[in-house]
Amino acid sequence: MNVKRWGIMGLLLAIVAILVVGKPGEPVQAAEKTYTVGTDVTFAPFEFTDKNNRQVGIDIDILKAIAKVEGFKLNIKATSFNGAVQELQAGQIDGVMAGMSITKERKEMFNFSDPYFKSGVVMAVAKNSKIKGFADLRGKRVAIKTGTAAGAYANSIKKKYGFTTVTFDDSNNVYQDVIAGNSAACFEDKPVIQYAIATGLDLRITKMKLADPNNYGIAVQKSDPEFLATLNRGLKKLRQTGEYDRIITRYLGNGSQKEQTEKAKAAGSTDHSFGTLLKQNWGTLMSGLQETLALTLVGIICATIVGVLMGLLGVVPSRWAQGTATTFIYLFRGLPLMVLALFIYTGVPMVIGTKIPAFVAGIITLTLNEGAYTAAFVKGGIGAVDKGQMEAARSLGLPWGRAMRRVILPQGIKIMIPSFINQFIITLKDTSILSILGLLELTQTGKIIIARNMQGFKIWAMVALIYLIIITLLTWLSNWVQRKVQA
Amino acid sequence: MTTRIEMKDVHKRYGANEVIRGVNLKVEDNEVVVLIGPSGAGKSTVLRMMNGLETTTAGEILIDGVDIARPHVDIDKVRENIGMVFQHFNLFPNMSVQKNVTLAPVELGLMSQADADAAALRMLDTVGLADKAEAMPKTLSGGQKQRVAIARALAMQPDIMLFDEPTSALDPEMVGDVLEVMRKLAAQGMTMVIVTHEMGFAKEVADRVVFFEGGEINETGTPEQVFDHPQSPRLQSFLQKVLQA
Repeated sequence: MNVKRWGIMGLLLAIVAILVVGKPGEPVQAAEKTYTVGTDVTFAPFEFTDKNNRQVGIDIDILKAIAKVEGFKLNIKATSFNGAVQELQAGQIDGVMAGMSITKERKEMFNFSDPYFKSGVVMAVAKNSKIKGFADLRGKRVAIKTGTAAGAYANSIKKKYGFTTVTFDDSNNVYQDVIAGNSAACFEDKPVIQYAIATGLDLRITKMKLADPNNYGIAVQKSDPEFLATLNRGLKKLRQTGEYDRIITRYLGNGSQKEQTEKAKAAGSTDHSFGTLLKQNWGTLMSGLQETLALTLVGIICATIVGVLMGLLGVVPSRWAQGTATTFIYLFRGLPLMVLALFIYTGVPMVIGTKIPAFVAGIITLTLNEGAYTAAFVKGGIGAVDKGQMEAARSLGLPWGRAMRRVILPQGIKIMIPSFINQFIITLKDTSILSILGLLELTQTGKIIIARNMQGFKIWAMVALIYLIIITLLTWLSNWVQRKVQA
Repeated sequence: MTTRIEMKDVHKRYGANEVIRGVNLKVEDNEVVVLIGPSGAGKSTVLRMMNGLETTTAGEILIDGVDIARPHVDIDKVRENIGMVFQHFNLFPNMSVQKNVTLAPVELGLMSQADADAAALRMLDTVGLADKAEAMPKTLSGGQKQRVAIARALAMQPDIMLFDEPTSALDPEMVGDVLEVMRKLAAQGMTMVIVTHEMGFAKEVADRVVFFEGGEINETGTPEQVFDHPQSPRLQSFLQKVLQA
């Protein structure tokens, strides 16, 4: 390989390195410690986004207040309740504050701060539902949210009362399932559903007395007593200064239905026309798109480099090289993208003991998965070049590598171009799966907006439209390149 | 006379199937040896073994004294000296005729691009295609392609040339041009090994004719001996079939 080619390769790698490493790196000041705390996307009034797409809620405000009085830098990361718990287990984040009930099981895994909120479990049903008690649930389905105390309670009594449960990742889906009539009822933490109903949710809380009240706490890793002490100290100060009460009142008021309805009206916009929604969420959607494009671009570059190298390895006349390529393709083409993403992001850090930023984990996932597909068609494309070409080049005295580079590859690449274009488009679409890592890309952005305004149809239509526009542009660009190359 | 190619008890096996069964063959300097025989007799395989395109199961293949059947031999160095012409030409379709011819000498650092270009034009002139230097291979006829392939092999200035059925894929009216070029090479004293079904040509240019049958050399001799006084019944029946056709 000549110097110029190596230069270009090096430059590409450098760009990738900068994009990958540069992304999660916030300037770290020696004096101020930064803590990353995971939370849920929507668990109003504890965490949700307001109409200006700012993260707000009781948990968020308390955390920010603690950070202020204790003097540390705070990084709030909204994934999902389950995702956040797994990230904490994996050591990817320092704590979880997401309306998390303190339970015996959880105490075995994490340390909890002093309780900061007393909650309880309630059962909610559709407005016109005839269900009055557990006995009416026999043979029916109950919607719950993963990892919640309400969910655990529902599961603990479902055998006794003969109902089944269905589990969702966020509250919105739980409520919609009941409204749609798929589930007869849902079990939810009391303040959460109270707030949701107050802000327009079409459900009704039954008068059933359910499980004992449970306490919410902030979970931290057992190995981090320093952060735990900081949180408890901060909570205490907030209670002493009255800041704690101010925050609770800000969201729950004096608890009256009327006041909550007023609050809801003030917080949310009522105009839900397509144009207004688009205008309101334009900035959020565009920042999501930006992240999607960043993931796609870096993902395509890395996957192409790895895929081409692996594909080439697959045609090198060496059993070892071909075995490596075959194994790579088999393994990473065989794994579902989501499993691979979770494995890398929440599985691997538990073993290696180092955090992997979500963006990097996403890129590694794309590189391995899309790289495996790329390797397969690179290998196939080279194999599709007439065998006589290699023989002719070799019989002229060209070594294998040069024959490959000067004679076989230029012909193979032409064969591969349609596959490359196809793979680029697939990569763009596959970035949506990385929303599972809490990356604020286009799909996750859509989820968050919908969690706030419940306008699923219109927002998903917008998200779909944006994907289609980008894919159309990408296709045009690819076709243009294809014409240039094959001319 | 110096021996350029020497095969000593060469075998090749695919599993239990032995396709070459102990071939002994010598090619002297400036000699033109023609390999004939029915399809599947092993003549092409033996030819391809002479520049390492086929592996050898057992035996020695000495090229100017170097055994290329050994592992780890610098086969690329040996190949620089041996030109090969294929039945299906195998021109590089993504390069012009001239680029096809200059690729190897330039890539291997034997010539500058300018020198190679000049040499390529001379080489194309000897095969009668000087006006096609800028053409792409797909625009050429079969006979023209094969002559370019010969020019490409000659550009490495080899002193041995291997021809693997060079006219089998050509329309009959194209065969003459290619044979003419080969005739010229033979007259210039090029050491040549040719696998062909052109018996008339074999008779005319060969110093020695080798008849293959069932992975073995069945009979060998001068063209007169082989074509006019064949000894083995196998050769006799082969010639009868071929010459009748």
